[in-house]
Amino acid sequence: MKTFKGGIHPPEEKELVKDNPIADFPLSSTFYVLVQQHLGAPAKPIVKAGDEVKKGQVITEPLGFVSAPVHAPTSGTVKEISKMVHPVTGLLAPCIVIDADGKDQWADGLPLERDPSVMTTEELMGAIKAAGIVGMGGATFPTHVKLSPPKEKTIDTFIVNGAECEPYLSSDYRLMLEQPERVLGGTLIAMRILGLDKAILAIESNKPDAIKLMESKAPPQIQVETLKVKYPQGAEKQLINALTGREVPSGGLPMDVGAVVQNAGTCAAIYDACAHGIPLIERITSVTGRGIKHPKNIKVRIGTPIKDVIDFCGGLNDAAKIIFGGPMMGIAQFSDDISIMKGTSGVLVLTEKDTNISHYSACISCGRCVEACPMCLIPSTLSKAGEKSMWQMALDNNLLDCVECGSCTFVCPANRPIVHFVKYLKALQRAANAKSKGA
Amino acid sequence: MVGGIGFVAALILGISAVTFAVEMDPREKAVLDQLPGANCGACGFAGCAAFAHEITENVEAEMACPAVNENALKAMSEILGRDLGGGAAFIAFVGCKGTPDQTITRYNYVGPRDCRAAQIIAGGSKACAYGCLGLGSCVDVCPFGAIHMGEDGLPHVVEAKCTGCAKCVDACPRQIIRLIPKSGNYGVGCISKDLSKDMKQYCKVGCIKCGLCENICPFDAITVSKDSSAVIDQSKCRSCGLCVSVCPTSVISFLHTPLKARVIVEKCKGCGICDQVCPVEAITGKPKEPYLVNESKCIGCGLCIDKCPADAIERIVS
Amino acid sequence: MPRVKGHEMKDIFVSSSPHIHSPEDTPWIMRQVIYALIPGALIGVYFFGIPAIRVIAISVVSCMVIETLWQKLMKQDITIADGSAALTGLLLAMNLPSGAPWWLVVLGSLVAIILGKQVYGGLGNNPFNPALVARVFLLISFPVHMTTWPAPRAFFSQAADTVTGATPLGALKTAVFEHGTITAAPHLNLMDPFFGNIGGSLGEISALALILGGIYLIARKIISWHIPVIYIGTVAVFTGALWMMNPNLYADPAFHLIAGGLMLGAFFMATDMVTSPITNKGKIIFAVGCGVITVVIRIWGGYPEGVSFAILIMNALVPLINKVTRPGKFGAV
Repeated sequence: MKTFKGGIHPPEEKELVKDNPIADFPLSSTFYVLVQQHLGAPAKPIVKAGDEVKKGQVITEPLGFVSAPVHAPTSGTVKEISKMVHPVTGLLAPCIVIDADGKDQWADGLPLERDPSVMTTEELMGAIKAAGIVGMGGATFPTHVKLSPPKEKTIDTFIVNGAECEPYLSSDYRLMLEQPERVLGGTLIAMRILGLDKAILAIESNKPDAIKLMESKAPPQIQVETLKVKYPQGAEKQLINALTGREVPSGGLPMDVGAVVQNAGTCAAIYDACAHGIPLIERITSVTGRGIKHPKNIKVRIGTPIKDVIDFCGGLNDAAKIIFGGPMMGIAQFSDDISIMKGTSGVLVLTEKDTNISHYSACISCGRCVEACPMCLIPSTLSKAGEKSMWQMALDNNLLDCVECGSCTFVCPANRPIVHFVKYLKALQRAANAKSKGA
Repeated sequence: MVGGIGFVAALILGISAVTFAVEMDPREKAVLDQLPGANCGACGFAGCAAFAHEITENVEAEMACPAVNENALKAMSEILGRDLGGGAAFIAFVGCKGTPDQTITRYNYVGPRDCRAAQIIAGGSKACAYGCLGLGSCVDVCPFGAIHMGEDGLPHVVEAKCTGCAKCVDACPRQIIRLIPKSGNYGVGCISKDLSKDMKQYCKVGCIKCGLCENICPFDAITVSKDSSAVIDQSKCRSCGLCVSVCPTSVISFLHTPLKARVIVEKCKGCGICDQVCPVEAITGKPKEPYLVNESKCIGCGLCIDKCPADAIERIVS
Repeated sequence: MPRVKGHEMKDIFVSSSPHIHSPEDTPWIMRQVIYALIPGALIGVYFFGIPAIRVIAISVVSCMVIETLWQKLMKQDITIADGSAALTGLLLAMNLPSGAPWWLVVLGSLVAIILGKQVYGGLGNNPFNPALVARVFLLISFPVHMTTWPAPRAFFSQAADTVTGATPLGALKTAVFEHGTITAAPHLNLMDPFFGNIGGSLGEISALALILGGIYLIARKIISWHIPVIYIGTVAVFTGALWMMNPNLYADPAFHLIAGGLMLGAFFMATDMVTSPITNKGKIIFAVGCGVITVVIRIWGGYPEGVSFAILIMNALVPLINKVTRPGKFGAV
C-alpha cells in the first residue's frame, strides 16, 4: 500500500462518531459570520446594521484576487457589524451578526438547476469564485486561485483528499459515504477546469466501506487509491509523494510538481456552486471527543454559535480543551463566544486524560522526532533553537520546511512543545524581516 | 617516552605562543579591563572586546556602553586621553502591577516558558493585552542578573545591578519594560490603552485614567488621556510625590529613596522662603535663625534648593 | 474593545497544536531500560551474592540522593522522577566488581552524577555517558580495587566469597604479554561467559542475559538495532580477520564477543540516547568507531578491556557525527 517516509500512528479514536450519520442541525436564532474565513487578502462587509438579507446573499466584498466573499447563512436582519474572537488567531476580528427571521428564504433565483457538463470553464470558475469556496480541510485557501495555476505550471495530476488522517474526525468519511455524488461531481468539474481527463481520489484504508462505495460509483476517469493509515498522510506534500513519488520542492507549491490537491468537502461545495449556484454557507463538521456528551456529525451553517452546537450535542463533559479542527493541527479555543467557520472540519472536546498538559524537560536526543518527521528535519534542533530564540540558526536547519504537522511533538518523550517553538521562531523571523524591510 | 612527547608538545606550544601572538594595543587591553565583560551587546558591537577595539582605534567613536560606572568611565577617559563624557545612566522600569490575583486570566497556558512564545497563542493568556505574562523572558535575557521574578508573579528590577542595557526592554512582547533615567524617582505601573470601563473588567490595579495625577502635578510632568495610561516626563518630574498621594489605585511606583535636603547652617539667612515653597511642610524655623529640614518628611523634590537665595540648602543621601 | 466578554470557560487549557501525545515519555523509557537490565543484574547477584546486591543498592540510592542534593543546592527543579539517576546508578553498579567497597561506589556515583551529568546542565546536555565516566575515573584512580574480581559461585554455595580470579580478557592479556601466545591462557569453554559463570564486573558476565535484555529494548523500539548490531559486527569482523591471520596470537571472534563487557557496552552503554548520534547513519558510524577502538585497545592497548574507553572516545565525536549526517531534505533544491 502506498505511503510516505516518516509519520506516526496515533490512536484513531474515530469510533466515537464515525458511524453517526450526518445530522441536520436546527437553525439558530442568531448567526455570527466572521468576515475573514480564508487565507489571503481581507474582505469588507457590504451590509450594515438594519439591512435585510436573504439566505445565500453575498455580504462581503473581497479586496484582492486571493480572497473570498462570505454569504448570509439564512434570511434575516443584520443586527450589527461587531467584533468577536476569531477561532484561528484568538484575537478579535470583524463579524457580521444576523438575527434569523426563521423563514430561511433563499436569495432571488436560488437554488438554480444547471448542468455543469455544458457550462464553460469560465462559467464554472465564476460560480466557484462567487460562491466563496475555500479549502475545507482547514487551510481555507481560496479554491478559484488553486484551480487557476499560472500558465507556466503544467498540471497533470488532480488529487481529491479523502484521507482524513487526523484522529477523531469523520466529516469527510460521512460525506463520501452519504453524498458521494456531490464529491464525484465536484471532482469532474475541477478536472474540466484544469483540463485533465483523470483524477485520483485518495482514501486511507481505515475507511473500507467508503472506498468500496466510491469505487463502485466513480466514473472510470476518477481512480480510487487506498493509502496506508499513517499521520499525516492527508498533508498535501505527503499525499503527492505517496501517490506519485514526487517531492514538492522546498519553498515551493504542489503546482511546481504538476499537482493540485483539493479536499473532498471542497469538491462537494464546488458541485453545489456550479450545479445549483449555492454559495458556501454550510458544511459537515464532526463534533466529537470524550468531553462532549453526544458526539455527532452535523450539517451546520457557517456562523452558528458554538454554544448552540455544544447544546445540540448534549453539553460538555469535563472539557479540558476545545479544539477547532483535529487533535494534531487544530487550534485550542479559550472562549465559547465563537462560531462555525468554513474551515471547521471538527469541534473536538478533549478531557484532561486525553490531552497533554504536562511540563516539558530537556531533549534527550532519542531521535524519535527525526524518525517521525515527514519533512526529513531534525525537530529537536529546532526546539533547542526555539528555547534560545535563535531564529537564524533555525533557518539554517530548514525551519521553513516544517509543515507543523505535530508528529515530532506527539512522540517526544520529554514532552517538548516543538511545534510551538517552530511557530515562535517563524514569528521572530517574520518580525525581523518586516523590520529590515521597513528600515 | 610519554615524558618525551610531553616535552616536545610543551615546546611547540611555547614557541607558538610567541610566534603567533596577536599584537594588541596595550590601551585596548586596559580599556577592556574597565568594561563589564558581560557581552550584552547594548553598545551595538559583538561583545566587550569588539567595543574596546572600536573605541581605542577610532578616535571619533562615542562611548556606547551603558554598563560602566563613573570610576570606570574616568579611567577609560584617562587611558584613551580623551573625554568620553559623563554618560547618562538609565535603569529598567517594569510598567505593570497586575499580579494574578488582581487580574483575569482567560485560560491555563501550556507551552514554552517564554513570554514571547506565549504571546503567539491567542495573544497571551492574560485578559489584558498590555499586562505582564509572568513567564520571565526578561529575567532570562538579563546578562547582569538585575531582574528577578518575584513571588507576586511580576518581575522586579534590582537597581544596584541594572545597567540600562535594554535587553529586557526588547524581550518583553508587550513593551511593558522601559528605560528611565537612574535619577528618576517615579514611574507609572501600567501601559494599558483600553478605556477605563473596559480595563476595570479584567484588572483591579491598572491606571483608570482618572486624571487626578495630571491635575495635581505642579510641574506638568505627568499626562494621561482616555486611551493612554499616565506617563511621567522624567525630565520635568521633581519627585514631589503628589501624584502618588492622589492616585486611587496606587499604580504609580516609587523607585528608591530620594536624596534629601539639608540646610547649611552657616549660610542660612533665615528668610523662610524654603518653608513657603516646601510642598510637604518639612522645613521649619524662626525668622533670622537657621531653618531645619525634617528629614523624615522631606521628599527630596529640591524646590527649596532652587528657591533659596543664599544657596544655603544642599542635597544629601539620607 | 476588551478581551473579556463574560463567557470565558473556566479551567480551559490552551496550547499550541498538537493536543494529543504518545504515552511513552522519558520516565517510561528509563523504566524499560531498567527492566531490560534486570536479567543481567540478577545473574550478577546469583553468582556474586550479597556483595552484588549491596553494590547495586548503594549505587542506585547514592545516585538518586546526590542528584537531589545537587539540584536543591543549585535551586533547580528536582528531576529524579524521570528515572535517569536510578538508571545511571544501576548501570554504574553493573560496571563495578562486586567486591567494590561502599566508599568506592559512592565516589563513583558522585563522579557519574555530578561530573558526568549535572555540571553540563543535567539530563540531555551531557556529552559523555555518565556511568562510563565514573567507571573510567575509578579504574584509573583505584586500579587495584577495580581489577580485583571475585570468583563466581552459585548463590547458595558455601564457598568463601573472598576468592578472586582473573577475567577471561585479563587472562588473555597476561598470557600474550608473558608468553606471546594465547594458548597459555586457561582454556575457557564458551558456555561459561555466555551464561555467566566467570569473573568480571557484576553486570557484564552473562552475555545471554544481556542479549535478551537488548532484544527486548530493540523490540520495544527503545533503541534501534543499528548501534548494537554494527558495534558487535565490527568487533566480530575485526577480531575474525586477526584470528584468521594468526590464531596463536589472537583469540577467536566468538570469544571476543562473549567475554568481557561488549554485550553490556553494545546494548546498554553505547545506545544511551543522549550521548549517541541522532540519525541512523550517524549511529552506524558511531558503532564502527566503537568497535574498532575496542579491538585496538584489547589487542594492542595496555588494558585488557577497551569497551569503556572506546565508547567515551566516540561520545566525544558525536556532535561532529551529527553534523555530517543530517538527513536529506524533503524536496531539496
